[in-house]
Amino acid sequence: MMPNLFDVELVFELIPKLLKYLPVTIELTVISMLAGLLLGLLLAIIKMKKIPVLYQISVVFISFIRGTPILVQLYLSYAGIPLILKYYNHFHETSYNINSIPAIFYVLLALSLNEAAYNSEVIRAALLSVDKGQTEAAHSLGMTYGQVMRRIVLPEAFIVALPTLGNSLIGLMKGTSLAFVCSVVEMTAQSRILAGNNLRFFESYCALALIYWAMTILIERVIALLEKRFDIDFKSLRKRKGDVILD
Amino acid sequence: MIEIRGLTKSFRQHTVLDHIDLTINKGEVVAVIGSSGAGKSTLLRTINLLEIPDEGIIKFGDLEVDMAKRTKALTLELRKNTAMVFQQFNLFRQKTAIENVMEGLIVVKKMPKEKALHIAKMQLDRVGLSDRIHHYPKQLSGGQQQRVAIARALAMQPKILLFDEPTSALDPELVGEVLDTIRKAAEEGNTMLLVSHEMSFVRKVATRVLFLDQGAIVEDGTPEEVFLNPRSDRTKKFLTNYHGSQEPEFSI
Repeated sequence: MMPNLFDVELVFELIPKLLKYLPVTIELTVISMLAGLLLGLLLAIIKMKKIPVLYQISVVFISFIRGTPILVQLYLSYAGIPLILKYYNHFHETSYNINSIPAIFYVLLALSLNEAAYNSEVIRAALLSVDKGQTEAAHSLGMTYGQVMRRIVLPEAFIVALPTLGNSLIGLMKGTSLAFVCSVVEMTAQSRILAGNNLRFFESYCALALIYWAMTILIERVIALLEKRFDIDFKSLRKRKGDVILD
Repeated sequence: MIEIRGLTKSFRQHTVLDHIDLTINKGEVVAVIGSSGAGKSTLLRTINLLEIPDEGIIKFGDLEVDMAKRTKALTLELRKNTAMVFQQFNLFRQKTAIENVMEGLIVVKKMPKEKALHIAKMQLDRVGLSDRIHHYPKQLSGGQQQRVAIARALAMQPKILLFDEPTSALDPELVGEVLDTIRKAAEEGNTMLLVSHEMSFVRKVATRVLFLDQGAIVEDGTPEEVFLNPRSDRTKKFLTNYHGSQEPEFSI
């Protein structure tokens, strides 16, 4: 009889066990993406407006993030933040407890900063793609810079950036698998723990891979749906049918 | 009444507007003509501060903006007194015709949505586009887009309407519908400043014609005065081309 080298059934048994940790993966992904988008927008505006000092800082920051592996950035965050806190305690005679910082914070910080650096270039390109005529028209109506940005530039830039941001979301979701280096247990870490119990590493990793794959397909679908939703002919048709009066 | 004093604008060494003085009374339809590079568009764009003049004073009734003491708040206030129609239409691409017209009413005039909707519908009806209100700019012809842009400008009820070569980017067959819309707006008593190369239109619609040359107003009068009895040689030369095309090429 052939030895049971690969247990297919086990793979499907392990999937639900790993899915228990999917919320952690999703939490890491969503929070880092939102923070990365906001900070990325800020960096993009700083770069476009060439705001002194901040501009130079942002250039160095983006170069550093792009020039170092995400794994190393996680290590730096995990080891560096406690040091900063110790220094702060020392100089301000405070006694903040390092252990009170949840481990997930280090991961969120590193992932958000990483995402911001990469997104900032995408966002900058998208903002620049909005033609000057529209912003001039908005200004000529008497709108403020903030209003022009919020109501005219961002909605159009968002649609331009959507496919690229979708890719970056997928990359980020998979990137959360590195969170174990900061001792956060998400799906990948859990798969190693499960494998350590029964020494069925390959089955565990197969189950893990299937979940990531499915998640990626899901994100792709959602992005495609959004793209369709923002298509002008589609929007116009819905408005004419009276589904939406105005948005 | 709009008063402009000593309006000057240079791009590097090149003086585009050279101490322009101009007073426009309520209800006047002032056309600006001149060769390209004379500063016509720049004059319009400095009046609503899309280009910031180097010096000068712009007055809208009680609101006086001295360029030397210009603030962000004053800039916005001045822009609220004007509305502009652009050569390239410049409609908001992600908004339908009616949303384009409502945008300024809601965001700048802080109108409630229902009221803005009502006004926008009325304005689009006036430019003959009531069956296109839910169309996006890219679904409209150039002429229709420009009419939406005119409706957007009219809805703001500005003290002055600025038209920057409104028909230059249009197919010849679409020019007529836009000119008709502008003429209607003029007849309704709107104060307008219009840069145009459509000489026969200017002659028919304008109550006053300015000829701009090298950043200065060299001719200022009624259409008859400027077109038939221009004072300066520069104007005469410019108008030869226009008059030339008016004369029949042959006669029996």
